[in-house]
Amino acid sequence: MAHEDRAFSDQLAARGVSRRDFLKFCGSVAAMLGLSEAMVPTIASAVEQAAASKLTPAVWIDGGLCTGCTESTAQSTNPDVAQIVLDILSMNYMETIMYATGDSAEQALKDTVEKSKGKFIMIYEGAVMTGWEGNALRIAGKTGLDQIMEVAPNAAAIIAVGSCAVDGGWVKANPNPAGGMGIGEYLKSQNVATPVINLPTCPVNPEWIVAMVVDVLFLGKLEDGSILNELDEFGRPKLIFGQTIHDNCPRRGHFENGEFVYKFGSAEEAKGYCLYPVGCKGPQTQTNCPIVRWNNQVSWCVESGSPCIGCGRFNWVDEGAPFLDRFRQIGIGAGSETGGYDPANVALIAGGVVAGALVVHGIGMKAAGRIGEGPATEEMKDHDRKRMKKGGDK
Amino acid sequence: MGTPNVTIDPLTRIEGHLRVECEVTDGKITDAWVSGSLFRGMEMVLKGRAPSDAFYVAQRICGVCPISHGHAATMAAEDAMGVTIPNGARIVRNIIEAAQYLHSHILWFYTLAALDYIDPGKALEANIADTHALAVAAGTTTSNFQAVQDKLKGLVAGGQLSIFSNGWFGHPAYAQDMPPELALIGVAHYLEALEMQAEASRVIAIMGGKFPHFMTSLPGGTAWVPTEEKIDDILFRLMRVRDFVWNTMIPDTLAIAPFYKDALSYGGGHGNFLSWGVFNRESMEMKDRYMPEGAVFSGSLTAETANPEAIKEYVKHSWFTSPTGLNPAEGQTVPEFTKYDVNAQYTWAKAPRYNGKPMEAGPLSRMLVAYLRGVEPVKAVVDKALGALGAPGKPEVLVSLLGRVAARNLETAVVADWSLEWVNELVAAIKGGDVKFFEESTPDAGAGAGMWEAPRGALGHWMTINNGKISNYQICTPSTWNIGGRDDEGVTGVIEQALIGAPCIDPERPMEAARIARSFDP
Repeated sequence: MAHEDRAFSDQLAARGVSRRDFLKFCGSVAAMLGLSEAMVPTIASAVEQAAASKLTPAVWIDGGLCTGCTESTAQSTNPDVAQIVLDILSMNYMETIMYATGDSAEQALKDTVEKSKGKFIMIYEGAVMTGWEGNALRIAGKTGLDQIMEVAPNAAAIIAVGSCAVDGGWVKANPNPAGGMGIGEYLKSQNVATPVINLPTCPVNPEWIVAMVVDVLFLGKLEDGSILNELDEFGRPKLIFGQTIHDNCPRRGHFENGEFVYKFGSAEEAKGYCLYPVGCKGPQTQTNCPIVRWNNQVSWCVESGSPCIGCGRFNWVDEGAPFLDRFRQIGIGAGSETGGYDPANVALIAGGVVAGALVVHGIGMKAAGRIGEGPATEEMKDHDRKRMKKGGDK
Repeated sequence: MGTPNVTIDPLTRIEGHLRVECEVTDGKITDAWVSGSLFRGMEMVLKGRAPSDAFYVAQRICGVCPISHGHAATMAAEDAMGVTIPNGARIVRNIIEAAQYLHSHILWFYTLAALDYIDPGKALEANIADTHALAVAAGTTTSNFQAVQDKLKGLVAGGQLSIFSNGWFGHPAYAQDMPPELALIGVAHYLEALEMQAEASRVIAIMGGKFPHFMTSLPGGTAWVPTEEKIDDILFRLMRVRDFVWNTMIPDTLAIAPFYKDALSYGGGHGNFLSWGVFNRESMEMKDRYMPEGAVFSGSLTAETANPEAIKEYVKHSWFTSPTGLNPAEGQTVPEFTKYDVNAQYTWAKAPRYNGKPMEAGPLSRMLVAYLRGVEPVKAVVDKALGALGAPGKPEVLVSLLGRVAARNLETAVVADWSLEWVNELVAAIKGGDVKFFEESTPDAGAGAGMWEAPRGALGHWMTINNGKISNYQICTPSTWNIGGRDDEGVTGVIEQALIGAPCIDPERPMEAARIARSFDP
């Protein structure tokens, strides 16, 4: 084992990945799965053992896609895409990066399905294209639907990556010109029972893919529900998609304080105020983006100054557009900078109409005596003091 | 018209889905058909939505070049509304776009294309000491070549080749005289490039929230407000990427190119080139762009002014029933699949023509136009490369497979230098009081176009607004210019023509055809 460990370290070193980086990766998997730091050595050892023995075969199937989820996966750093496809999985078919092409590529897919029947993981990117009997997408002289039916029933599990794979994404948006739909819904219509893990957002965050692959392969079993990151009723891992963006947003304090960005590129944006008035869908969107962040954790949408557009919601384009409008345009309040929007009323409006979480904060702001008086700022809010005394607002 | 007897489907290592068919006669490609195999209908989805939504949705047409589509969508909206963005926003957009160019070109050369020129199997035979010596002699960077070779050996010994499964190891179209040591250098840099393309995209993430699919270049300017720390972070990362491009990617290109000099003699195609120009100067004029607009026609070494009104899109051989021959400003999208038949309809791509001519889009077009228009940094790198290829003062040799590959890599070096220049320009602008990044506007009616360049070529978005909503939307992508099939007159598309005349020494494994199609980064 010691020898194998060293070999694995050498492999990592060859790509400039230190032992420290590798453990950082294991740490991020642990965080994603809601595990304590104490589990990091267990995960490290499970991955190392897998790297030292036969790798689980996987195939990455491209549906009606923009290739953005593959691209996103290529931006993963701990592990990088080479580790994912060489050390964690044996990625025998992945159109965008595989060496083989044409018939040789198709043969690699066929070999995997035949030789590893019931044992390989299928990753599906893009929408299922049902238009014109599936001819909206043609691969290797047949339809994309034919390819799905050759592969999906034989897979051990399917990971649907990105909103298009989960529910059709923008491809399904009105008028759904090419009959896009999610892989789960399509397989249900064909009575295929292979379990599907849904990882929405546009594109998918690669850290979620890695965490779920490690979970399914090394830590638990999907079929008996013993994976650590349980799935919700929509097939989404609860620990990733169980809280709203608003719940974990670093700008949340400014929401509480009534400190908002009303104009893009403004002084308020430079101060990192809350983007709710310019359409942020954070309160309606359930993902852990504020914690996991993007592109090796360098930033995420709200940090860059943009409202969340809710790309992880179901039917996100039709539900979220127009993206620069709030969830509901109530249209009360006068004299504001953005079409009848009165900052002092945000809690009242939101509390009455939007989500439960907002009601709570509406009450908080009301208790602070600030409704109708504008967003005065002070070092600590009255309601914060009260909440601290009560031990939080739940 | 010929009959296809060689098929590549799917063409892998590209964005999306593509089918390439050839007629091969006596080891040469004598006819070709290229089929875009996917229809999603972005233009139809955008109708009826808010003009500002086009920025968010339209960029999702392509996960490899979303920045360019986002910018073209935003520029179309701004054109329709009559808005000019603040100078600071212009510079911010240039830097984001440049970061995407660096990301995209590094990814293309190493991750997508390199395996067409370097046989990874050959790297197993390399002597490690000789590999180091060769890397030093070639002026490229050294790596832990031993570990990379061990990794390859481990893959082969373990019998699980993963993404290398069923590859064309030992294909006779690989340069037989290339030393195994150069192959090992190539494989090592193939792995290192993964980190460098990711580093370039982190610059986008800092300024745009994430990549792919960014958040900040809204109609009116940018939602991102630069701060001292963020500018510092961007500068550090761009310098790191620039070092890689100049010290690894360019020397690698120059080391590999001499083994494929035969690729200077085929793969050129029609020889017409189109660029709308990219990277705005303060004037915001297309002719003034760092990479200027221009159209170059076969046999001529002059760049004419590129005019969007000269475009017409033909659909006789595509699966559309909309009227044929429309300019995109009045374009329509009415899809209707019939069947795959190279003699009737065979593609989901329209066939765009410029003054009736098929035009190549991409880095080769931009570099030729810029060279002919006398853009200094472009002239410097192109002249140097022409010297290395033994064709000084002859830019026409670039109209070939090898020329197209070289043009993309040389452009990477030019853009890497510019990206640093623009960060300094941004700092100077802020110091000079340019602190406005967004211009408010409320569109009600109007029509506009966003003419721009994605890394893979000429891109246009056309938007018509009525009653505050998008009433028509059309997109003409670089891949449409390149992968589009025959027009109504039966004239071949750009990749189709580039394939004709090329060798195909093993029809079972048509390596040369795959190389040519991939050289367009479709």
